[in-house]
Amino acid sequence: MEKSFFSIFKTFFKVGAILLGGGYVILPLLTSELVDKKGWITSDELCEYYAISTSLPGVIAINTAVFTGRKLLGTKGAIASILGVTLPSFLVIVLLASVLSELVRFNHVNYIFWGVGIGVIALLFFAVKEMWSKCVTDRFTSVIYVLCLILALCGKISPAIIVIFAIITGLAVQFIKNKRKSND
Amino acid sequence: MIKLLLQLFIQYFHIGVFSFGGGYATLPFLYEIAEKFKWFSVTQLTDMIAVSSVTPGPVGINMATFSGFTTAGIVGAICATFAIVLPSFIFVSIVYKILDNFKENSYVQSCVKTLKPAGCALLSAVGIKLLFTSNLHLLGFLCLVLFLITGVVKKREPLFYLGVSALFGLVIGHLHWIGV
Repeated sequence: MEKSFFSIFKTFFKVGAILLGGGYVILPLLTSELVDKKGWITSDELCEYYAISTSLPGVIAINTAVFTGRKLLGTKGAIASILGVTLPSFLVIVLLASVLSELVRFNHVNYIFWGVGIGVIALLFFAVKEMWSKCVTDRFTSVIYVLCLILALCGKISPAIIVIFAIITGLAVQFIKNKRKSND
Repeated sequence: MIKLLLQLFIQYFHIGVFSFGGGYATLPFLYEIAEKFKWFSVTQLTDMIAVSSVTPGPVGINMATFSGFTTAGIVGAICATFAIVLPSFIFVSIVYKILDNFKENSYVQSCVKTLKPAGCALLSAVGIKLLFTSNLHLLGFLCLVLFLITGVVKKREPLFYLGVSALFGLVIGHLHWIGV
């Protein structure tokens, strides 16, 4: 399928329409649409964009969408992806705005939500498995993974801090490598 | 009206610039808005958080659209949504340019190499936390295990898992097998 403003818009509209349960779910959805089905981007790149997106201010799903849109078709692609991913939620909220509060009091809505929660966790683990095979390739990256996981699991450390930690580690490792090279 | 829209724009642009860590990071800002401007009540906000989780889209976007709409109708909704998205567009564009221009730089390459496992770890942490904090019960857990096993055997559309699990929740809840 060709990368055009409209095809990117359509793809992100679909992703926006089934984006349930928090911004991070955008990753498995984008993997399915862009990597598996269309082959527009590698899961390696997606992984990198997601990591940076979590450390930037703003809504993570939107940040990730802008990154991928930009990669696919420059500024035009970024605008297409933003419009596509926000439009479904925009339409749903505007249509439901007056009855929203009543909606939550419906038991069946809560049942569905409870169920979808299971699907979301499954999607997350599939995404982790996919990312793991692409990103954790040697001993160095495994150590980074374990360290970041421990940091993320214990305490209230902001994801932004963890990403900054990863960036500093990357810089330091390269600095040491360059130093050694110049010493040889 | 123009003044109100301008205020909406400024408030949501502010959220877009200062909220780190995704949708739920926008919540403290929204509580502040509810108290300061009275555009919506705290009760409305609480309802909205619950509804955001069942309607598609990121919480931050849903909240911006909703409060923009209750404050100033459809124009308000567009204004607030645009305002919260704009900072993302600007920041990501800058970072993307930097990454693109310095692709060959060894420092940038080294950073990208460490960033990827970090991103993977962050996502793993979200999954693990959800696993322990959501009220899964035994049935939900069994359903999850079944999903994971079938997922390893055959790759399926995300919509398949969301649809099947929604139906599962509806049936289980309706039969009162668990207290959801």
